[in-house]
Amino acid sequence: MSRNVKIIITESSDVIRRGLVSILGRLHPFHAEISEASDFETLTTSLARGGFDIIIINQMIAGPQLKQLQKEAPAGPVKFVGLQTSLADSAVLRSFDASISLYDSADQIREKIIKLIRRPDSDTRHQTLSQREKEVIACVVKGMTNKQIADVLCLSTHTVITHRRNISTKLDIHSTAGLTIYAIVNKLVELEEISGG
Amino acid sequence: MLNKGIYDADDSMSLLVSNHYRMLLVLSRFGIGLGFAEKTIDEVCSDYGVDTQTFLAVTNMLLDDECVPLPAPEICPRSLLAYLYNSHEYFLGFRLPGIRRDLVDVLGDPDDELNRAVIRYFDEYVDQVRSHMRYEEETVFPYVLSRIEGNYCGEYTIDEFSENHDQVEARLTEFKQILIRYYPAEGSNELNSVLFDIFNCENDLASHNLVENRLLVPAIRKLEESWKGNS
Repeated sequence: MSRNVKIIITESSDVIRRGLVSILGRLHPFHAEISEASDFETLTTSLARGGFDIIIINQMIAGPQLKQLQKEAPAGPVKFVGLQTSLADSAVLRSFDASISLYDSADQIREKIIKLIRRPDSDTRHQTLSQREKEVIACVVKGMTNKQIADVLCLSTHTVITHRRNISTKLDIHSTAGLTIYAIVNKLVELEEISGG
Repeated sequence: MLNKGIYDADDSMSLLVSNHYRMLLVLSRFGIGLGFAEKTIDEVCSDYGVDTQTFLAVTNMLLDDECVPLPAPEICPRSLLAYLYNSHEYFLGFRLPGIRRDLVDVLGDPDDELNRAVIRYFDEYVDQVRSHMRYEEETVFPYVLSRIEGNYCGEYTIDEFSENHDQVEARLTEFKQILIRYYPAEGSNELNSVLFDIFNCENDLASHNLVENRLLVPAIRKLEESWKGNS
């Protein structure tokens, strides 16, 4: 299902900030929850509350404090996006995970942000599935509950849930019906085993 | 206050439709037929008993989804409800069944296990859309109606709806992805045509949700506030 993405935009110009808010308001298929900060101080106050996925910041505001921010960003996949409002030194922009320019189109901006969200934080995405994960899929497709899967594979329920979460991330499939299609195509199950088939 | 939308009441209806053919969907959901000759949007709307401001609010929002109308445009909730009912009927009674029919044709062998899984996925999805829309028709819309009539005395508020309003198109996005990535078919005109339909339907469902979130919810919230002021 669609995921919430928390974004904070740090930019002193109301016009530019509001424009970005409006563009990022439609980040299909994600739902963007957007906060605004007009200066560095407001940003740091908001960051203290945590939970942001993406920090968009005018590279002039970030300046030399960017390194510090990145160091302090809570352990996790926080991405920094530089907002380029004037000609910038490319060395400065390199320290960001991505950069957007005032002259990017709305679609370009959305595309850049979506790419960032989709980019794996620890390269789990698009790796091939482990043998264990394939076994878990086979069980899910057969209609087994987490508890039953845990018993059959001699795992804890907690581990099964972790496996299922990783499978969803790797394949970008979040429903059992979707996993069934995947399992059939990749021959992870004997056909007669599929529940409800 | 100036209406900053793209089209206004005095623009020609035929101009709107020939420039934006997708607005045909909006016309039929408001119950407006073709053949409007040189009439303006306002004239056509009053011919069909449709509130012109509501019609404009929907079309302008769909044409420019970047623009967040502030303050919420003056709309007639009753006209908007009629639109939403027809829109539900369009998806459940026409669009999704049509896609299913074409999908069955394109997939071929109905006993093939993979084909059955694909159809089952689609059917589960349609069931979700149906229960999503039934909830609106059985709970939300009657609530809105009784609000309009001023005789509601329960605890329900529109926030309850907007907080739980899921994006009904999200799973269609997943379905499309699965077909593209995993369905082992040779590219064919027929398959492309079904995929195009799914892409379009996904957009239409997103637009439908946008109308509910950006027009219906703010209008009802305003009504709730005025109600609170009166009681």
